[in-house]
Amino acid sequence: MRSIKILERVLATIPIMFGVAIIVFFFIRLTPGDPVDIMMGQGGAISAGELDRLREEFHLNEPLHIQLWYFLRDAARGDLGYSYVLKQPVTSLIAERLPATIELAVGALLFSLVIALPIGVISAVRQNSWLDRLSMSTAFLGISMPGFWLGIILILLFSVQLRWLPVQGRISLGTGFQERTGYFVLDSLLTGNFAALKSSLLHLVLPSITLGAPVAAVIARVLRSSMLETLRSDYVTLARSKGVAESWVVIKHALRNAMIPTITVVGLQVGILLGGNMVIETVFGWPGLGRMVVKAIFDRDFPLIQGTVMIYAFTFVMANLIVDVLYTYLNPRIRMQ
Amino acid sequence: MARFNYRIITVLLLITFVFSACAPSTPSTPVVSATSVAPTAEQASGTIVIALAAAPVSLDPADHRSRESETVIRNMFDGLVTRDATNGVHLELAESMDWADEQTLNIELREGVKFHDGTEMTADDVVFTFERIINENQIEYPEAHTSPRKGLIAPLESIEKTGDYSVTMHFSGPWPPAMQLLVHQQIVPKAYIEEVGTEGFIAKPIGTGPFRFVSAQPGFEEVVLERFEDYYGGSPELTPVGKACAGQVVFRVIPEASTRVSALLAGEVDIITNVPQDLIETLSANENVQVKTAAGTQPKWIELNVNMAPFDDVNVRKALNYAVDKDLIIEQIYGGRAVALPGPLSPYNSFVNKSLSPYPYDTDMALDLLSQAGWADTDGDSILDKDGQPFAMTIDTLEEWRSLAEAVADMYRAIGIDANVRFWEYSVVRDQLLAGERQAYLDDWGDSAFDPVGHFEAKWHGFVADTPFGRGNFSTYNNERVNELIEQGETTGDTAARQAIYDEAQQIVYDEAPAVFLILPEEVEAASASITNWTPASDSRENMHDVCKTE
Amino acid sequence: METGPDIRSALQDQIYIWRIRLELWWGNFKNFLRELSAHPLAMVGGVVLVLYLLSALFADQITVHNPIQGNLRLRHIAPVWQAGDWTYPLGTDSQGRDLLTRIVYGARISLIVGFLSVGISVIVGVLLGTLAGYFGGRFDSLVSRLADLLLAFPFLIFAIGVMAFLGPGFTNLILALTFKGWVEFFRLVRGEMLAEKTKEYVEAARVTGQGHLAIIMKEILPNIIQSVFVLGTLRMGYMIITEASLSFLGLGLPPNIPAWGSMVATGRDSILVAWWVSTFPGLAILFLVMAINLFGEGLRDILDPRLKLEG
Repeated sequence: MRSIKILERVLATIPIMFGVAIIVFFFIRLTPGDPVDIMMGQGGAISAGELDRLREEFHLNEPLHIQLWYFLRDAARGDLGYSYVLKQPVTSLIAERLPATIELAVGALLFSLVIALPIGVISAVRQNSWLDRLSMSTAFLGISMPGFWLGIILILLFSVQLRWLPVQGRISLGTGFQERTGYFVLDSLLTGNFAALKSSLLHLVLPSITLGAPVAAVIARVLRSSMLETLRSDYVTLARSKGVAESWVVIKHALRNAMIPTITVVGLQVGILLGGNMVIETVFGWPGLGRMVVKAIFDRDFPLIQGTVMIYAFTFVMANLIVDVLYTYLNPRIRMQ
Repeated sequence: MARFNYRIITVLLLITFVFSACAPSTPSTPVVSATSVAPTAEQASGTIVIALAAAPVSLDPADHRSRESETVIRNMFDGLVTRDATNGVHLELAESMDWADEQTLNIELREGVKFHDGTEMTADDVVFTFERIINENQIEYPEAHTSPRKGLIAPLESIEKTGDYSVTMHFSGPWPPAMQLLVHQQIVPKAYIEEVGTEGFIAKPIGTGPFRFVSAQPGFEEVVLERFEDYYGGSPELTPVGKACAGQVVFRVIPEASTRVSALLAGEVDIITNVPQDLIETLSANENVQVKTAAGTQPKWIELNVNMAPFDDVNVRKALNYAVDKDLIIEQIYGGRAVALPGPLSPYNSFVNKSLSPYPYDTDMALDLLSQAGWADTDGDSILDKDGQPFAMTIDTLEEWRSLAEAVADMYRAIGIDANVRFWEYSVVRDQLLAGERQAYLDDWGDSAFDPVGHFEAKWHGFVADTPFGRGNFSTYNNERVNELIEQGETTGDTAARQAIYDEAQQIVYDEAPAVFLILPEEVEAASASITNWTPASDSRENMHDVCKTE
Repeated sequence: METGPDIRSALQDQIYIWRIRLELWWGNFKNFLRELSAHPLAMVGGVVLVLYLLSALFADQITVHNPIQGNLRLRHIAPVWQAGDWTYPLGTDSQGRDLLTRIVYGARISLIVGFLSVGISVIVGVLLGTLAGYFGGRFDSLVSRLADLLLAFPFLIFAIGVMAFLGPGFTNLILALTFKGWVEFFRLVRGEMLAEKTKEYVEAARVTGQGHLAIIMKEILPNIIQSVFVLGTLRMGYMIITEASLSFLGLGLPPNIPAWGSMVATGRDSILVAWWVSTFPGLAILFLVMAINLFGEGLRDILDPRLKLEG
């Protein structure tokens, strides 16, 4: 029964992806701005023939429904087309950039969990104490600052003033780093290169903090309120009355049950971590997807925008799906709707 | 307890799996080498890192239209001619160039020049290079297309080999800026490209330049080059002649200006381009940093729609020119590193009209001209009005020019014009500008050839669809005489005659003022103090051949 | 006249009813204040929020400088404790405008951005969510699909896209923020509607013959609106920060609208020369968003401890 439900959910993602593709397709093509004009910029003499040839090459002078047909036909074969500006297959451009974005998202997620779990638990256990207030205010700091501003301040403090951490990029020169998978931390481990490992980890610190700070706030908040709710619940009271040690009550009963809504939120934040990083990637010179798609939007690089946004949507839908599945497994009392 | 932990770990693993499931296990990188070969400790001693504001789009000299691409490419590839930091053109791979007549150029090539794979450069490579650009659909990857650089040498009709080391170019007509524009074409190896194809060529580009390709990160976020030991030495007119000084050169993309500056201050990079004006003073005060400037190539102006009231009145347009205190802007916003525009051309242009000088800051004159046009403050609200309508204007611009636009708007408000600023994306506003739907537009127009053609053809010739004429004419200015002069100027070879033509054209445009001629900022770059022999170039390209790094 | 006393007494009844109502509301409000006082952080948040509201309302009265007109000669004057000049307590920006004045006016813009974008999102989300949740059917599945679709787009990318599509300007910024902003409210209200409509009190109302509109407006919505209010306060901060991010990416508000986000974004280039230009607007955002969040968090504790927020 349950697996059928899951299968239904998996199948339900297909129309969503299709819808996303259609929306993006029409939206970007109806947006003012001609990719061919942008590509040519200001310089040099461009003949009408040249511009026409480019439009023809990109099928831009054909009616929209024909363009849509080309797009869907190619997409069905896994071909997302060529970037107008970068002249490379969109799939390989995404594949090249994705590891950087994922590595940063994982770093940010780890940072936010490391911060949020203790804050959430302690705030709930010591509700309305000064510790609660202090830690929750700290958590709120993260959600109250524009990311680029936090990033610039962190750079000025930790990189320029203190010189503890690198300013930008993913790895220093001269570590003898060998790229294998595109995940620099993993690659350093695989090749046993500890200089590269150290360098890539250090490069991750500031961007992870900047990207993870608002996520930490959200997770801490949800964990705290879920903990509060479970701490007040009957079975926790029962456990206490049985004389179970308070710390055990917190860990065994309260935290365990509070994890369910927390995981839901973490799952939803995954989409935000992957899709909300174009600002942070710009500040830290991080060569990921976010920066590529923002530039693609300004360039009106239709195939690249389409491909990237679909990857974002896919990740988000998948993250949602997995959260739902986990939800039913962790809490058998809840049936999927 | 144990079971609980196990579940949490499962959750985390699954979340991680979501990520990794979207990523192919081995990212295929058809364009760049999949492994980034890092320098060993010994090599790294002579490594210079240059921070670029934007990524190159390609490393194929025939397949891009971007300054960043050309910056990297010109360190790997040499051309027939090159340009020094002050816009002088010098022979590079060409040993001599002679015009047989106005349409025929005979070129003798330098002998013994080696490509990075050790083969010798000959006339075949030069013919191949130019035919690959001017003929249709010569670049076969990823889909057959014509070089986007064809437009830069549009008058070149054909090129023929006349000897092992000599070629002849045939042009469709006299083409005065030929030398300046040949700088932008670099010679590629025929045999190599024919063997590996364009795809193989951009994965490992080979040229005759002072540095050879080592590796590149996806999207050219980082390009590593190393010294080419068999380099022929470069142009003999530009000292020092010989191999490059630095062992390695790394171009790294850092889009955010404040991060670029931070990276320089933290010693992570050695040279940064596009220094924000606000930071020049701070950087100059830092003893570990040197700031240098080069003459700019991107004049800024506000184009006024000459067919829309109130800018259809020449007095109003002139008044707006008089109302801007350009010296104050240069002093305050640009820290003195800019010059006022003396008219439609940059003061550094080879054909600038020397009798013109910038419109002075004179608010009395401005108000006088405005009252001649019928604008005066009759209702005492300190806003000028005419026929009961207040003088309101919107300066459209890009977010990039925010401070300049705001400063100008402030000065206009000070004399009673209700001026506002609005930001656009260039791609969105361009069509509206050409259609004459906007009032006033502040932007720049780059031209590094220092020849009047670039600016006059695009900006001050009436717009003619599907031609280069007026392609950037955002003032809808269309003066028969000026059009005629521009067309004459493009085909007149004689320098004195061209000067006369452009002098007249500049005088007319200056007097009719279809734009507020603002300023020309200098190109500002900064480097760490350990960098020697470094000179920023006017065309904002980084020629690393001579640059050294002292440890 | 015979009808006179009737009218008078009917009027008196009405007045009496309203007085009772007012007293009830006042009592509720006092209760609320009492409960709030148990949450000192929420109190602080509330007070800061009120201060911001006041400065936004009375910006014209409490400032002496012009927030828009600059003077390059007064560029980058340091704050009073560095420059010793009380004329510009927080210094001046890159156009020579008084920073304090701009920040005070910026409160107006940022609060309007926050209130309008969240307000429109709430109206659209609550309306659609109520209809979808209460009546279900084809309308529900249609709007739910649309919501799922929109939810799959990253917010910032979506906002950039809408800005590119609509062009620059204040109205378009608000539209860009609300185009996707309503979805969260829709999902919240729809879910609550589904849960509430099966409850006994709704059944009871239906049995007594009340119409759908009456049931929704009088019975269900009052139970839901608190959660909406809480989510709304929490979303406001996000909207204000998104405005800053858009400005950072080059899609900001024009300079005659002194918005904090644009001020932080444009001041970052001079952060090494004139740290105050981007720092003070940044702090203004920080305090406002923290105040809103702390207040919203307190509200949640008081009004609806069960509400699960999905971020």
